[in-house]
Formats: sequence, C-alpha cells, structure tokens
Amino acid sequence: MSPLTAVLRRVVGLGAAVLLSSFAVFLVPFVSPGDPVRALLRARMDFGEADEATVQAYAEQFGLHDPMLVQFGRWLGRFFTGDMGLSHISGTPVADQVLPAIGVTLSLAGSALLVAILVSIFLGVISATHAGKWTDKLITSVTHALIAIPEYALAPLLVLLFAVRWSLLPSAGYDSPASLVLPVFILALRPISFFTVAVRSGVLQALDSEHVLAARARGLSRTQALTRHVVPHGLLPMWTMVGVWFAGLLGGSVIVEVIFAIPGMGRLIFDSIVDSDIPVAQGGVVVVVTCAVLVTGIIDLIHKLSDPTVRIGVRHG
Amino acid sequence: MNLGRLSVAASFAAVALALTACSSTATPAPDAAADAEARVVVANFRAPISNWALESDDAYVLSIAGCLETLTKYDQTEKKVEPMLATSWKQTSDIAWEFDLRKNVKFQDGTDFNAKAVANSLNHVLDATAPARAVNPKTIKKVEALDADTVRVTTPAADPLLPYRMASVNAGVLSGAAYTDKGIDPMNHCTGPFAPVSEKAGQSLTLDRNKNYWDGEVKLAGGEIRYITDGATRSTQVQTGEADISMSIPATSLATLEADEKISVLKADSPRTSTLYLNNSRAPFNKVELRKAATMALDLPAMAASIYEGAAQPATGPFAPSEPWANPDLAVPAVNIDEAKKLVEASGYKQEKPLEIIAITERAEFAGVGAIIQEQFKQIGLKANVVTKSYGAVEPDVLAGKYDMILSQRNRMIDIADPIGFLQADYTCEGGYNLSHYCNKDYDKLISQAMGEKDETKRHDIYRKAGDILAKDAANVWLVNEQAIDGVGSKVQGYVQDPLTRYVLTKDLAKTK
Repeated sequence: MSPLTAVLRRVVGLGAAVLLSSFAVFLVPFVSPGDPVRALLRARMDFGEADEATVQAYAEQFGLHDPMLVQFGRWLGRFFTGDMGLSHISGTPVADQVLPAIGVTLSLAGSALLVAILVSIFLGVISATHAGKWTDKLITSVTHALIAIPEYALAPLLVLLFAVRWSLLPSAGYDSPASLVLPVFILALRPISFFTVAVRSGVLQALDSEHVLAARARGLSRTQALTRHVVPHGLLPMWTMVGVWFAGLLGGSVIVEVIFAIPGMGRLIFDSIVDSDIPVAQGGVVVVVTCAVLVTGIIDLIHKLSDPTVRIGVRHG
Repeated sequence: MNLGRLSVAASFAAVALALTACSSTATPAPDAAADAEARVVVANFRAPISNWALESDDAYVLSIAGCLETLTKYDQTEKKVEPMLATSWKQTSDIAWEFDLRKNVKFQDGTDFNAKAVANSLNHVLDATAPARAVNPKTIKKVEALDADTVRVTTPAADPLLPYRMASVNAGVLSGAAYTDKGIDPMNHCTGPFAPVSEKAGQSLTLDRNKNYWDGEVKLAGGEIRYITDGATRSTQVQTGEADISMSIPATSLATLEADEKISVLKADSPRTSTLYLNNSRAPFNKVELRKAATMALDLPAMAASIYEGAAQPATGPFAPSEPWANPDLAVPAVNIDEAKKLVEASGYKQEKPLEIIAITERAEFAGVGAIIQEQFKQIGLKANVVTKSYGAVEPDVLAGKYDMILSQRNRMIDIADPIGFLQADYTCEGGYNLSHYCNKDYDKLISQAMGEKDETKRHDIYRKAGDILAKDAANVWLVNEQAIDGVGSKVQGYVQDPLTRYVLTKDLAKTK
C-alpha cells in the first residue's frame, strides 16, 4: 500500500469514527427517560422545578424542539465549518471547554503511558531474562495483582498515605507537576500490568527466535543481543496495546479526574452527558476520537520502526 | 456529579481516613494575631458552569468568594433581613418598593455603584431565558432607577417578601462593564471585599483584597475558591491543610475530621429534609391511615444515627426545629408497630403486589435508607421493593402521579430565607412541584393568606399552622433534617458558617501565620 493510500484510509476511518461516535452521543437524550431540557435547567439551578413556560423558552432558544435528524444535521453542518456549536448550559463555544480539557487529559494520559511503558520494559525484560526464578514470579504476581485493584479503591489509599500522613504530595488539583504524580501513577498501574505481561512474553519469544540465535552465533554478546535484537523485537506486542490504552485513557479516566479534581476530558464528557449538554459531549467525543486515531497512527509508525525484521529488511511470510 | 463508584470511593476513603486519623498530630489552636498577608483557600462543592450567569447557581460561587453583593442581606443568626448595598427600603404601594442605595460605594473597577447599575443587573436576570427562582418576571415586574441613589422595584402582585428576594444571590449587582457580548465577566466588577483576578477553568477562582471596600478593612490579602465536587476530596484538602475551609463535608468523613484536633467541624441545620414522598393521589397512600402507619413504622433516630452517621437529625415534621416557623411542640414520631398495624387494617388496604420505593441515584445514601424502610415496613405487613433511578429519569412519572413512594429531598429556602415558595409549590393543590400530589383546601387558604401577610411574626404563625396541617395529614414521612457541615482549619479566624451557603470569604475572615 502506498503511503498516500494509507493516509487516505486513515482519514476516511477517522471521519467514520467521528460521525458514528458523535451520533451515538447525540442519541443519548432521545433514548433516555426524562426531559433533557429540564436536565439542562437542573444543571444551571440545582435541584428543583422549572415551570413549563421556562422549559419551552429554553428549548426554543437552542432549537431543541426540532426533529432529531434536523438537530443532528444542524450540528454536522456547523462541524464541517469548524464550529462545534454552543454549550446548552453556559451558552459559550464548545471549543472553549473542550480544548483546555483535552490538553489536561493528553498530559495526564501521555504521562501515565510514558511511565507505564518505561516501567513495563524494565519489569518485562527482567522477568523474561529471569524466567522461572523468584524475581520473575514476584513481578508476575505483583503485576497480576495490580490488574485487580480498582482505581476508586487505590486512589483514596494513596492520597491518605502520600498527602495526609506523609505530606509529600498534594491530595488534588492540577496546578503543579507534583499534583500529577498520584493520578499519573494510578492511571499507569493497569497498563503496567498488561504491558509487563506483553513485554515478558515478547522477549521470551525473541530469545528463542532464529535471528537472535543467528546474531549470537555471529559473536554478539548476550547484552548486545538483548539490546539490539531481543528487546526491540520483544516490545512489539506492547506497542500494539499502547494505542488502545491511550484511546481508553483519553475519555475513560473520569474516576481519577473526579477524585483528584482534575478538569480533564473524561469528566467533561461524563458531566455533559449526565446534564444533557449534548454539544459539549459531542465536541468532546470528536476531539477524543481524533486524538485517538492520530496517536494510534503515530504508534503504528513507532511499531513498524521498532520491528527489527523491517529494519533489517526481512519480509514477513 | 452522579457516579456510583464515587460513593464506593468515599467509603474506601472513610475507612482509610479512620486508619490514619490516629496518627494526626494534635496542635493547639494558635493564639496569634491575624496575618495581613494571609490568603484563605476554600474547597467549594460547586463549580461554576453557566458562564457566570447571575440567574444560575454560579451566583453562589461569586457570593461565597466575597465578590458579589446584594441590596439586602439575610442575617442567619438574627433571622432577619438587613441592609447591604441598600441602606433602607420602604413599600410605597401594594406593588412597589423603593430602595435607598448606599452612597460612596464603588465597583472594584473604579466605577460608581448607583441605581442605574442596580437596574441593569436585575433586569439582566429578569430578561434571562431561564430566570432565577427568586428573581423572575413572576415575582418582579419592573426595576427602574428613580435617581442616582434610589431604585424602584415593581411586583406583579403584593409581595411582602421582596426584601428577602433582594437578598438572593441571583439579585447580585455587577458593574456595567461585566456584561459583555460573550457573557458575564466578573473580574474586578463586583462591590464585595474580594475582587476576582483570575480563574483556572474548572479548577479555581483567585481573589485579591478590595482595598477600597465600602465596609472597611478587609483582613485577608486574598483567597482562592477551589471547585471540588467530590466530598471525600474536600475533606482530605482540609485535613492536609491544602484548604483552610472545606464546605459540605460528607457524613462518611465526619468522624475522622471530628477526631482531628487541627480541624473545627461546624454543623448547622440545613434547610433540607430527606423525605419519603408518598403519592397521595392514588391507592394505597390516598388513605391518611396508611400514611400515618408508614410514619409510625419508621425508626427515624436509628436512621439518622446509622445511615447518616450523626450528620442529620431525626425530623419532627416538615420544618427543622431551629426554623422560626417550626412548631416547637412537634416531637420525633415514635415507633408504634401495634398502632401502625391497626391503621393499616383501618385503611382497608389489601396488598396484592409489593409497593415501589424509588431511591434517586443523585443521593447515594438513599439506597441504604430505602433498604431500612423496606425492612421496617415488613413489621406492619407492607411489602416494598427499592429501585434506584436517576431523578431526571423518574421526574415526569412522579410529577404525573405515577409512583408509590420516592426518596428525595428539597431545599425549603430556595434562594430566599423564607419557606413560602416551598410551601406553595410543594403542597398546594395547584403547586408546580407537588410531588406527593397532596391537596387540602384549608392548607391552600393558609398559604394564600401568608402570601399577602406583611407582618413577619404573623406570617411565621401561618407557616406553623400550615406545617401542622401537613403533619396531621401525614402528607409525607419527613425522615431526617440534614446538617450543613464545614471543616475549618485551626489558623482560620472569624468564620461564620452559613447553612444557606452564600457567605464564606468576608471582610472579617482572617488567618494567623
């Protein structure tokens, strides 16, 4: 496939993903019980009643009485001109809420994945090169245990240890590098578990592969073989997972964002869906999907570059 | 935000907090002078989401921040309306009031505070598509500047509560420059002791001392309002000292904070009563005997002590006992299973299928409350199932009278420090928010009478009688009166808790070094 065709396929895929996901979000108030206009008004003014005239006037202001497809078509028309519309709660441009939130989430998810990748490479390689020994068993047990600990249980515990008891880190917020340490660590734990297992398995496979054995036969030391051939090849299974995890973290770190009072994208999308502020939810989803597709594309590239069979010109069968 | 997992997180936090509480270092309250350069951090439960529209709850954030001020102010201690930006007011006809404005007041941007600015601010709220509950075209017809220092407010009908409405945060006054094409910009546009200078979207509002404040010296150099919607996180912030004041502490964190000598835990009756709404409009709860039986079956003190962990008091009726219109003779209903069984029999109700108790997901504790009610109803032969649903999902059915029971809670003093709006909307035959579909013509007459009553003492007497009718008819089961709970660090001085959550950063608030 030519590079141009590959790029075109990505663009078409991105368009389809954006269209489908934004339509799915758009459907939420139409398939949910309850009145979405009253939900909007409740978000503005706590728990309580709004008279029918107010509900009607508010719906009129944002065209919420129009048929579903007319409303979606209107959103789509604006979207193609680069306008994500106005929030139905604040009346301000959706972009003003979505763009800062995606910046926050990219820094959070990116840092978490970077930590996860570095730690997993270290643990996975140690585990594989000591296969069957106590270090391997310990790493495997710990990483499997981490998968089972939910974020909503771990976060309060770490806050109480590091913020309340030892006063080492802030308990919440997004205003300093220190405030990111706990949320990044918590978000990194599960990817660390999965990535470590993947790296271990990849490295073990690579250790037994013909090209590594051939490299050793050519006189490369064990360390040279590890760094030049085994590790790059052993990371391939992990790279395929990184893109998926990144996409998941972009919109799915809502619990960590709430507990640590971080104004990120997961929380923005979740709150806007609960409050029926659909333009914000749609804008958020579009940005998340776009970022996810772009990042997975970049990771695919890294994947290809890190494949030693590609670098040494070996064709896959 | 409604997130089931968060309540689980809160529980984990509570357990872990309890584990660490014993290690907290006890420090005696400092006996030191206030630090003129100190800044106070407040962890607030509410985040502004409506672009600072004053008709929305964003006005509460500006009021808490010591930025937004109103013509009048409700003094929670004295239980009366007092002057703020207006020095006096008088009713010039049944439907007109005139407010004399305070002279020599300037907005933080240096412009003059005057009648034109007041009319401009109030008319913006009145013109909003979704106007405020206390200040809207149904309650206020017109606001006009008579001269530089006098504002006339005309109401559609006689309204003795207008000075209360002018104390609502939604009736706050900003300088003309605050009203821009892009919405409201509160930065340096208030009259209050603190001027907002910057905002981190979704995170916090930073304020500096207003050096030219009309009411004298402001003790703090500034402050920060942090938007922290998670209750457990707010508790942790005051425990670590990251916040000096944490508002609305959840019950799960109460014991830990109370055990921490560095923190003062302040409690006050909030105007919210958790209530088991009974559908009076259809069988079986259209029978007063069955409603009374439901009341007698429930052990309210046990409920307050268990589910609410002491953060609520058992209810005596529709009002909290500390409210001036509450009947002091009403006691917490005693559990009387034998009498309740007789009442069930007298109602003639033959149960064919279990009744349904809706526990709204917006209040995590209601699932537990529902389970207790389910068990205690069994003792009088009533079977009930508890279902959890979001309020938005059930509201249409509840308003249409298609339900048996729903656990919910309402604020009696929605934006004004008087329960008339609640009593009218929630319990009159034509009330716009009559969830229980209660209807009693005698009650309606009393409420009509109260609406025109200018004498506050007499009006409170009428409210008391109305409350007695509701209690006698067992319109609902009022379960517990919730408490407003704030955690305050030991360096803070001069903090006065406001259960209506309007005032936190004040000119008298101070902090020691």
